[in-house]
Amino acid sequence: MTTLQPAGARAPHGLPARILPGAGRVARQAARRLVLLAVLLAGVFAAIELFPGDAAGATSDRGVTSADLAARRTALGLDRPVAERFWDWMTGLPTGDLGTTARGRHVTDVLAGPFPNTLLLGTLALALSTAGALALGSWATLRPGGRTDRAIDALSTAAYALPEFVVSVALLLVLSQWTGWLPAVTLTGPDGRPESWTMIVLPLLSLAIPQIGWNTRIVRGALADQAALPHVQAAILDGLPRRRVLSHHMLPGALPAVAVGIATSAGMLLGGTVVVETLFNYPGIGAILAGAITDRDTPLVAGVVAAAGAAISLLLLIADLVRTTALGDERR
Amino acid sequence: MTADAPTAAAPAPATRRTGRVLVRAAPALALVVLALAGPLLAPHPIDTPVTFPYAGPGDGAALGGDQLGRDVLSRLLTGGAPLIATALAIAVVVTAAATALGILAALRPRLGRWIERAADLTILLPSVLAIMLIALAWPAGGRLAVAAAATLLGVPYAVRIVAAAAAPIAAAGYVEAAAAGGERLWHLMVREVLPNLRSTLLALFGLRFVEGVYIVSVAAFLQLGPQPPEADWALMIRENAAGITLNPWAVGAPCLAIGLLAISVNLAAEALAPARPTPETPL
Repeated sequence: MTTLQPAGARAPHGLPARILPGAGRVARQAARRLVLLAVLLAGVFAAIELFPGDAAGATSDRGVTSADLAARRTALGLDRPVAERFWDWMTGLPTGDLGTTARGRHVTDVLAGPFPNTLLLGTLALALSTAGALALGSWATLRPGGRTDRAIDALSTAAYALPEFVVSVALLLVLSQWTGWLPAVTLTGPDGRPESWTMIVLPLLSLAIPQIGWNTRIVRGALADQAALPHVQAAILDGLPRRRVLSHHMLPGALPAVAVGIATSAGMLLGGTVVVETLFNYPGIGAILAGAITDRDTPLVAGVVAAAGAAISLLLLIADLVRTTALGDERR
Repeated sequence: MTADAPTAAAPAPATRRTGRVLVRAAPALALVVLALAGPLLAPHPIDTPVTFPYAGPGDGAALGGDQLGRDVLSRLLTGGAPLIATALAIAVVVTAAATALGILAALRPRLGRWIERAADLTILLPSVLAIMLIALAWPAGGRLAVAAAATLLGVPYAVRIVAAAAAPIAAAGYVEAAAAGGERLWHLMVREVLPNLRSTLLALFGLRFVEGVYIVSVAAFLQLGPQPPEADWALMIRENAAGITLNPWAVGAPCLAIGLLAISVNLAAEALAPARPTPETPL
């Protein structure tokens, strides 16, 4: 019965018929993002497994016998085929089981402490770079070709080229070394969190400044494209206040491009946190990851890559959603 | 007369643009030449102590000493060449591969769809994680492993840019005429499409160089590329970070060098990029 129901019959249940094709497209996009994530994880798993050396050797003490090594390999399950281990790991993912590290702890337990710290730092940096980019991009757009526009253009071009650790050292010298305003290293309290909020400021700024540069250029470009559109030109000729033209006529149209820019920023921020956490001794996944690399700890590295990939996929999906909604509005 | 006016006026902006590009690219070129010639100018050997650890500037060491008392200025002059050479190699390989694959993708759409998927895939893997993975899989790789990771990650995205620029050219009448005339694929790629992609490729090369500097220096900072006795700007920052209070120059000078290199190369790449097509109406 239900399968024969015409599509229009579902509209009274609160789902407007207009967004139904959009919803289907989003479901398809979500499925596509999931498949891409699975392919990436398979690639990562294979890359670590195909090369010589393994976790049993890397985490054992020097001078153990080959029999001990073989026993350890069996205990870690490394004697089973790669495909089988990958399948076990993938089927465990939906239940929240990321597997066991080479040192015998659950990956979820190892990540549970530092991951919220990295998430806090990353989310704050993403929020700060979004707000900063929207403000600077809009400010420049209000005065196209003027001195402010050119200054913001030059500064954002310079900022996004800088590696995070270079920004970190510059900020460290100025805000900590010479003025003494902020602490140079993060001290971790007994609960595993940074001891005071002042310790988050320097890592946060180091991460956000290059991304503000990147996103400002995207916001500025998207707004410039919008400025050339007929309905914006008409609003300007009608003599509407320029702030209103910007907020009601240009920003909504620029949103899809800006959303994609922010989603790509997330990947760069996640990479940047590893570097910045190392420099400031911040208690995040950066240190865990560095240790996992030396130990050749496949489940732990794959767990971090899975978490990062899932976060980026989610943001890209939101960007897809924004674009679908915007295009739907345009069609109406 | 009126018909002649636009054609007569046209060359002037073009030469002005070339002049502006040269002015904007000059700092980057000067810095690259200085870094490549640097080893010849170094006053001290890079691997023997000339001061006590973290000594301040003075006493024959203009920028002081590092954590082992080695001359910071000499190490600064020596440490740029390998970084720049690796970044240049990455930019050349990625641009060349992306040019070939991008034009091919524009002429053969089925291949184009696969390249789109590969680009979507690489977005999910932050470049720092990718370098760590390659270093994990290939511990003895050193600089080569970092360059391989940067190339592997950079190509799909770069191909997407070349393919987007080549698509309208591939659809142009003269290319279709050449294809209908039975010209080989190779001829279509090199003779018909490539010559029209010059400005896109120059800008792409510049941006890939910026990206190369970023990846190579971040990898060195994470101690994944060059190994300790070597002089390398990023490695100097990592090694001397502990002594930042004693001799700020040991960290600040290489930091300034990487910052200036990244910014000047990025400004040069910006100048090479095609200008925004339409001027904006003031609000």
